[in-house]
Amino acid sequence: MTNVAMDGILSDIKVLELAHAPSGAFCAKLLADQGADTVKVEPPGSGDQARHEPPFIGGKPHPDRGTAFLAMNTSKRGVTLDVTQPAGRDLFLKLVSAADVVIESFKPGQMGSLGLSYEALKAGNPNVILLSISYFGQYGPYANYEGDDLIAQAMGGYLYAVTGSADKPPMGTALQQMEQTAGRNGVIAIMAALLQREQSGAGCHIDVSVMEAAIATPSGLIHPYSFTGRNPRRGSGDANVMDGMHLPTRDGEVTLTTAGTGGRSMEVWSEFIGELRLLDPKFATRLSRQENWEELRDLVAPKLKEWNNLDLMRETMARGLVIGLVQSPQQVLDSPHLAERGFFVELEHAEAGTLKYPGPGFFFDGVNPMQASRAAPRLGEHNAEIYSGQLGLSNDELSRLYAAYVI
Amino acid sequence: MSAPTLLQGVKVLTLEQVHALPWGTAFLADMGAQVIRVESADHLQDRKAGPFPSGKPGEEWWNEGGNLAYFGTRNKQSLCMDVTHPVGKEIFLKMVKQCDIVTDNFRPGTMRRYGFDHESLAAINPRIITLSSTAFGHSGPWSKAGSRARTIDAMCGMSALTGYEGGPSLRASNNYMDHSTGNNVAYALLLALYRRNKTGKGVRIDLTMQETGVSCIGPAILETQHGITRPRLGCAHLWKSPHNVYACAGKDRWIAIAVASNAEWTALKQAMSNPAWAQDARYDVVQSRWQHRHELDKKLTEWTATQDDKALMASLQARGICAGAVLTAADLVNDPHLRQRGFLQDYNREGSATVGVRTYAGRPFRVPGVAMAIWHTARMGEHNNAVLQQVAGLSPGEITALAEQNVLYTRPRTGEKVP
Repeated sequence: MTNVAMDGILSDIKVLELAHAPSGAFCAKLLADQGADTVKVEPPGSGDQARHEPPFIGGKPHPDRGTAFLAMNTSKRGVTLDVTQPAGRDLFLKLVSAADVVIESFKPGQMGSLGLSYEALKAGNPNVILLSISYFGQYGPYANYEGDDLIAQAMGGYLYAVTGSADKPPMGTALQQMEQTAGRNGVIAIMAALLQREQSGAGCHIDVSVMEAAIATPSGLIHPYSFTGRNPRRGSGDANVMDGMHLPTRDGEVTLTTAGTGGRSMEVWSEFIGELRLLDPKFATRLSRQENWEELRDLVAPKLKEWNNLDLMRETMARGLVIGLVQSPQQVLDSPHLAERGFFVELEHAEAGTLKYPGPGFFFDGVNPMQASRAAPRLGEHNAEIYSGQLGLSNDELSRLYAAYVI
Repeated sequence: MSAPTLLQGVKVLTLEQVHALPWGTAFLADMGAQVIRVESADHLQDRKAGPFPSGKPGEEWWNEGGNLAYFGTRNKQSLCMDVTHPVGKEIFLKMVKQCDIVTDNFRPGTMRRYGFDHESLAAINPRIITLSSTAFGHSGPWSKAGSRARTIDAMCGMSALTGYEGGPSLRASNNYMDHSTGNNVAYALLLALYRRNKTGKGVRIDLTMQETGVSCIGPAILETQHGITRPRLGCAHLWKSPHNVYACAGKDRWIAIAVASNAEWTALKQAMSNPAWAQDARYDVVQSRWQHRHELDKKLTEWTATQDDKALMASLQARGICAGAVLTAADLVNDPHLRQRGFLQDYNREGSATVGVRTYAGRPFRVPGVAMAIWHTARMGEHNNAVLQQVAGLSPGEITALAEQNVLYTRPRTGEKVP
């Protein structure tokens, strides 16, 4: 019987990741965190580019201590392998023959030119599932364009419309969210392919586009335009005291809403902060509050300043008001709520030390599926384990591969 | 277009509102699961949410909203039945016996009050998978707090990391957290189905928006444990430069350019015909370019400001430079790349002349054999008869009686406020 807590739901699935972009790395991480036996394949020497992205635990550049790399590669094992050399390609195909899922994020066509097309992978493993994740997809006029998260935000409509202020240039979001969104869509596609394979026995080649993930997922761009003819534009949170602005508290910031309280929120707010002028009809509707936003801000802001974040949260919650504390990552980490839920998992890493990592966002029968995870692999950490242990290479063969920079 | 057969036979009962959960269950509906959305005539906010044709709610506004087709009742069935009525509750529990998944996004405690909590449902169907999608989860001091996607954006740390360089915090989005959570819902449900295929066991899933949000900012969570604060940089980058948006010709037209290596900088200089200012040695190496990024951005803008954004994108990309026009919704519906890839769907809302053909974003992935398109949008209560006969085993006479008892609806109550 499978024990979710110990093994993970995907513990019978083997994943190979040949991803040089965060989208593919994050996608593989989501599978690995659910117990999939995931091996990250990196070029010898420098490894995944993300290893060199600052900042680093301890301050100084170190390939095992980059925070982006550590965060995006939990629960994986890692090997080094130069798939551009014939010997490396052959070894990779050997790994593929035992894999269920291969994830790659090269530019379209590059896998084929390395002799690693979907057909080549299928020759040694007819049921393999290949997920190609790229900025613009495997075909189409932009397929060979260069991309990164900013470009995906630009071409995916995010920059123009989603965040930022009306009177300022387009602005984006932090920490490669479009790459992550593509990764989240990627695992949905992989689960579909795994379920399909259970029925048909056949694998398939999945095409994921980061640009399309940006359009489809955080948006509300295409169909609103098609319905109304209006082009959504940034700045919907500007000049909105109750519906978007961030206002200072004693130890942070808060964003208010008029949600909750069965439609009586302005009355409840007025009572809560002891400010009768909030009941003035000029603050009764969203539109009128916007028209009189400065006046409203001057009534509300000084009262909020008297509160600490956690007290404000407790007291508004008790009254049915809905607010958002604008928490810093440190405040999130220190959150008593998340601590009580057991959301963060502590993982030990030989170079980065013990750190708390976010869980996946869901609990199965009360268990955080990440509790049995491991921290990101050091460069080539599992070479011996996988090449000798799993593929049965001799020490001599290993030495020759090292000497030729194949691994 | 018809349903893929991937999840044929999988039955989902969903008590869902607003955004995150309906977005998540829509993936299963796309894959061919029978997703029965149990709606209430008391809470029509999703049917009021629009967007409506030309921005105006029509005569049958409750079936006209664009969000319904994009995710609300997309490929789902609508059972508009009052489950708080004793008879409605009895029927709901009868259907649970025939179903595989029950999902809800009420605040914690509501399902228990109805008698629909996991333990009660598992007692009558041991293989049941339940998923509760909430703001803060079923335990912890904030469990009962309400939310909006943008308050979650704040609570999870995302807003604090978002903002113009040197400026205040800003929410990353009005609904990014809804969609990320919805994606997580789909993943968790597919995992649970996969597990049940292997083990025969159901499961209780407690999924939260806040925690999904925190899982989006992993690097910042690690950094703060070592006292590292990530600055808000707008479209700028921690080390790359030039890396920003630059004004182009026309009103509110921009291009994003992202240069990482020295070779790319050299290519950009060539694209600009090697102007004298760009030969400055301070721009020769990555670190120094970044230190002088503000003046570099200004100079670059002088060059982009007279050019067409899309033409400039094409010419820079032809030189291997990472650049993308800042596209609007109007650009995207006509985008040649998206059209050629079949990403956009011009879907005709059957039976609604006012809606007719509209354009919708597709799914950002192609799985051969699993077409993920819109083929139906459920009207309010459209499937009352079909679901109650097929899943609950009621006779037509019993269904007529229910409608007379005001347990079933196919349209809003008389006097319902028009959105």
